[in-house]
Amino acid sequence: MSTTVALPDARRTLGLARINWTLMVRNRTTMLYAFLVPLLPLALLFAVGDPEPTSGTAGLGSALLMALLFPGYYNLLSMFVTRRDELVLKRLRTGEVRDVELVASMALPGLSLVLAVLVLMVPIAAAAGFDLPANPVLLLLGTLLAAVTFAALALWTAAWTRTAEAAQLTSGPVMIVALAGFATPAVPDAVARWLELLPGAAVNELVRAGWFGLERGSDEATVGFWQTWLEAAPALGVLVAWTALALWLATRSLRWEPRG
Amino acid sequence: MTRTTTRTTSRTTARPAPTPAAPDPHAPALEVRGLRRTYGSGDDAFEAVRGIDLTVPRGRIHALLGVNGAGKTSAMEVMEGLSPGSGGQVRVLGLDPVADRAEVRRRTGVLLQRSGFVGDLTVRETLRMWAATVTRARPVEESLEMLDLARVADTRMRALSGGEHRRVDLACALTGHPELVMLDEPTTGLDPESRRAVWALVRRLRTEGATVLLTTHYLEEAEALADHVSIMRAGEVVREGTLAEIVAGHPAEISFRTPADEPALPAGVTASRDGDRTVLRCADLQPALTELLVGARDTGVVLELLQARTATLESVFLELAAAPAHDLEGATR
Repeated sequence: MSTTVALPDARRTLGLARINWTLMVRNRTTMLYAFLVPLLPLALLFAVGDPEPTSGTAGLGSALLMALLFPGYYNLLSMFVTRRDELVLKRLRTGEVRDVELVASMALPGLSLVLAVLVLMVPIAAAAGFDLPANPVLLLLGTLLAAVTFAALALWTAAWTRTAEAAQLTSGPVMIVALAGFATPAVPDAVARWLELLPGAAVNELVRAGWFGLERGSDEATVGFWQTWLEAAPALGVLVAWTALALWLATRSLRWEPRG
Repeated sequence: MTRTTTRTTSRTTARPAPTPAAPDPHAPALEVRGLRRTYGSGDDAFEAVRGIDLTVPRGRIHALLGVNGAGKTSAMEVMEGLSPGSGGQVRVLGLDPVADRAEVRRRTGVLLQRSGFVGDLTVRETLRMWAATVTRARPVEESLEMLDLARVADTRMRALSGGEHRRVDLACALTGHPELVMLDEPTTGLDPESRRAVWALVRRLRTEGATVLLTTHYLEEAEALADHVSIMRAGEVVREGTLAEIVAGHPAEISFRTPADEPALPAGVTASRDGDRTVLRCADLQPALTELLVGARDTGVVLELLQARTATLESVFLELAAAPAHDLEGATR
């Protein structure tokens, strides 16, 4: 019997993801948000006089976070809620496709935009006179992990979002939590220590270590390739913890069809 | 009202251990024992399905017939593996719809009573999307042809009529060459021509060896299609059998405008008046009608507006729908 279930889940997931990609591209507003919002902070890179790591982190970190929030988090949230309202998810779930494949197929288009923004960031940063990433592998894996975190947060938000319109409001908490992590340099140390536990701060830390090789709590680019992993480890841990928390909350209350 | 399904352990404990190896190839397409489904809990609990039994052998078209709210869809959703029942057993092609989900889904096709598609996709894109999720998919062009959708293949889903939408839905249900097809009100909202086309399609599925379980509240649909009918009422199956079995024992009816000279009435009929008409009920229509007509000819009586018909599902159904629930208790056994 094991031979009869040999069909790779990848075929179903990618088949659906391709359709979701087509639909996302057809929607002009989504595409505008997807690229414009992350690219705006990158313009700041050209506005600073001296291309130093601190200003670079601010521009690149917020660009990455915007990509994670808009094409990543918000896109999945509104896609999930709209498809649920339209009974599309209910219909698909009568077939062979499994829940995890359905979610993955809706998250993949946004994820590919996040990666596109990450890749675009390299030549743009270089053009503004900034260094190339110190550890591209860490940056890529960290971004993938962060994308999973925000996808999980999108599912959790979808669990208590009633309609697609309501998503504009219900996305607020996650947006705030993500952006609050960016305020660490502006608040007292005692507060900053707590803010570091937020996913936005983790993304910022990832850029500091992965791109500029900065040591934690220092603005000196002193860390070598291998040591950047160690520096980024707490941030990666924060992302894993948020992913676990969001998935746990989501699986407890996620609905696949509108309330009756 | 928020509806949540209560889970009880009775289902899992009552169920035999999941069959790990090949299931019995001769198992009925569908076997349901004592199926129950409850919405809500405590004082708000509502039992929509109250212990129904159902056996559908392979190659048969079986109709679940009942008025809206009889529990047809609630029962169907458990058989489809979409919702847990609160009691009883379901075997689909000899398999458990939840534990053996992957295999059951690969071999069944489901049409929901209400379902949705992405409005921005065209019909062809929708079928292509569905085909991407199916193990052994029918070619999209074949599906378009089969449901007469070629003309609207490049139309966006949101621009389709209700009937076209329903046919796309059906095409999806049939994409994976299912052995068992479960159709929840397949023709509701269709115009008469589309309805007949769907009937022809359902018959063709049977010819090709598939089994079909469908729900309907159209009597003529059950009469036109079904080999076997279960009539549901208030969560229970109150009659079950072939059409002939169900109408058997229900009287045939002869009626005519009551003439000035009463004709001699055949033996074994009960006569009654309905306005200016005489209504005769009898167990066996042909001899009674012959006797009536011969008698009328011999006495020169003219029977105006003469009507004669055997018992129909409609007469049974109306009688069941009108009867108080407690009168039906014995009927299920």
